[in-house]
Amino acid sequence: MNSQITTLQSEPPRSPDRKGRQVSTKGLYQRAVKQAFLKLDPRVQLRNPVMFLVWIGTIVTALVTVNPNLFGNATDKNPMVFNGLITLILLFTLLFANFAEAVAEGRGKAQADSLRATKSDSIARKLSPNGSIQEVSSTALRKGDLIKVIAGDVIPADGEVTEGLASVDESAITGESAPVLKQPGTDIASSVTGGTRILSDELVIRVTADPGKGFIDRMIALVEGAERSKTPNEIALTVLLAVLTQVFLIVIATLLPIAQYAQSPVSVAVLIALLVALIPTTIGGLLSAIGIAGMDRVAQFNVIATSGRAVEACGDISTLILDKTGTITLGNRLAEEFIPVNGHSLKELAQVALNASIFDETPEGKSIVILAEKLGASLTIDRSVAIGLEFSARTRMSGTDLPNNIEVRKGAVDAVKGFVRSRSGKIPDELDTQYESVSRLGGTPLAVCQNNDIYGVIYLKDIIKPGIKERFDQLRRMGIRTVMLTGDNRITASVIAAEAGVDDFVAEATPEDKIEVIRAEQAKGKLVAMTGDGTNDAPALAQANVGVAMNSGTQAAKEAANMVDLDSDPTKLIDIVTIGKQLLITRGALTTFSIANDIAKYFAIIPAIFAGAGIGQLNVMGLASMQSAVLSALIYNALIIPALIPLALKGVKFRPLTANQLLSRNILVYGLGGVVAPFIAIKIIDIAVTAVGLA
Amino acid sequence: MQETLSRFWQKRLPRALLLSLLMAVTIAPAVQAATGISLDRGQTFAIVLLGMTTLALSIYLFVVIFQPERF
Repeated sequence: MNSQITTLQSEPPRSPDRKGRQVSTKGLYQRAVKQAFLKLDPRVQLRNPVMFLVWIGTIVTALVTVNPNLFGNATDKNPMVFNGLITLILLFTLLFANFAEAVAEGRGKAQADSLRATKSDSIARKLSPNGSIQEVSSTALRKGDLIKVIAGDVIPADGEVTEGLASVDESAITGESAPVLKQPGTDIASSVTGGTRILSDELVIRVTADPGKGFIDRMIALVEGAERSKTPNEIALTVLLAVLTQVFLIVIATLLPIAQYAQSPVSVAVLIALLVALIPTTIGGLLSAIGIAGMDRVAQFNVIATSGRAVEACGDISTLILDKTGTITLGNRLAEEFIPVNGHSLKELAQVALNASIFDETPEGKSIVILAEKLGASLTIDRSVAIGLEFSARTRMSGTDLPNNIEVRKGAVDAVKGFVRSRSGKIPDELDTQYESVSRLGGTPLAVCQNNDIYGVIYLKDIIKPGIKERFDQLRRMGIRTVMLTGDNRITASVIAAEAGVDDFVAEATPEDKIEVIRAEQAKGKLVAMTGDGTNDAPALAQANVGVAMNSGTQAAKEAANMVDLDSDPTKLIDIVTIGKQLLITRGALTTFSIANDIAKYFAIIPAIFAGAGIGQLNVMGLASMQSAVLSALIYNALIIPALIPLALKGVKFRPLTANQLLSRNILVYGLGGVVAPFIAIKIIDIAVTAVGLA
Repeated sequence: MQETLSRFWQKRLPRALLLSLLMAVTIAPAVQAATGISLDRGQTFAIVLLGMTTLALSIYLFVVIFQPERF
């Protein structure tokens, strides 16, 4: 198994050539300790029902520490010390839970700080309608304003390039030090982000966001958690925890008269300790930290999610819609071979292919020019009198109009056939033979024609990314279906699909087909994830349950998507889905562990507390006394929270298993472990507590 | 949510506390009468307040169960 797959099994792999934004975590833990105390504010605690009960319990035990006879004459040994110890342990339980949340939030805040450092008020050159330049503060710019930026300037606001060609340093946002070329009129290079720096030349930009509403502002708000609201799964879990807490509250509240009746009186402090030991404090204390850490993991991957809901949705994804080029295959298809037809020579075909590609700036077009020149073709026409025709999804052809009504075209075989027929040309039979033979090799066949005469076929070679088949295998094992979308013909698409190991493919797809495929999958009750960068991808990105826009894409795509990949790497969609799964698995594992813990704590301490009622023989663990049992259970309850903070923040080890396999594994590891661990830990703590004379 | 909570703290909480104390004052003598002389007046008052706190917590948990999105 190659190294890439090994990495995926332990944690989602990171792009090897990416440095990522540098985020300082200096002082993170000191700040988290301070925040842990500030979060003791009842208004904060009220949002977490489990921990709010612990908070109230701490106040009540503090009162019975000051006056042990507050609720009746104390019967415990050294009630003030015992109650004081309970109060202290409960306080630490709260502080540990607050600390976990503060650490998770602190990472987001550190990211926000690093982003904020890129934001500064600057002087912008605003263009007036009469063409004059007016210097204004960047905060005075409004949507629709035209501004001019020159080499060395920090771009003052988000916008679309309307004029000029310049290289821009986007490392402040993406961490990628290589400059990016920006120019107007293209889907992938016309949008600029405020806070990035222009390195060469100059640009005229139309501002697309008002101050405070730009991309960086939104990113800061998101990573800081200002817009964080509970996800549907978190809400469902909160209800479950509240129900469990309610049940235990009623049980404990009614236990007092029962204990009196059974001649085994217990103090209020002991009952509160019992309540806290029984309610699911572990998951209650770590729940928000797990969610925040999930968003943080996505952000560390240089992907900005618009909400925790989006990250969580990744974990539920059942269908991945992937573009072939750039995701499944390496982005650059290169011309491998020219195959002449219709009695033309190789040199003639090379010359026509060269003429059809002289204005083609794509890697494919450039590779055709290089191969044609290698075969002896040379530029014999004057570029200034020729007109280049760009490739479009509609025409599926590109080419050149030369003087004397000579039209040279190259493109999809069907499209070129249609072009030739429209000019009363004949289609040679061998064209279809060559088209099929190239397609069966997994290559893309491009037909080349001049007016109504077909000259031959160009074989564009596609290279499948190494390791992609194994990754699709893992996704399949997780129950995720992969669908490849490609503009290629059916034969090429089927060969690539089989080689890459995708479950399904849509050949000869137009960008509009994406939305149709998404709707069809959603109609079957599936959750769909996809990537996109162009304006024509925006409706599909909005329709998908998880839409990941490329940072190099248009503003429309970024606004329609619920995630933005700052590295503009479409393969990352697979990693994001993995992170979402990991988030759900972590939450499920810790919930299982927490509830299993409660069951074990119940059976460990109840016999010790009610030994006086004649159930002392059930104290199979041999806990020294009622007081030591209560203190041991509470100490364990408090310590397990910080012990699980690393797991909550990092996430449990990811394994590509189906939902049923994961459930069995979680029940075995975290369920059984959650039952056994408290028995062992409470016994050890009980021995220690008794040895130091605390009880 | 933030607005609802802040309105609760500013307006409803003082009123709720006052009503709780008044209710405790009303109920405490009845509880003391039921328990005989084993509890003094202060202890009875504290027990009634504890009972009311428990009831309030139970109501709060029901609110969380039925309107979780508010939290």
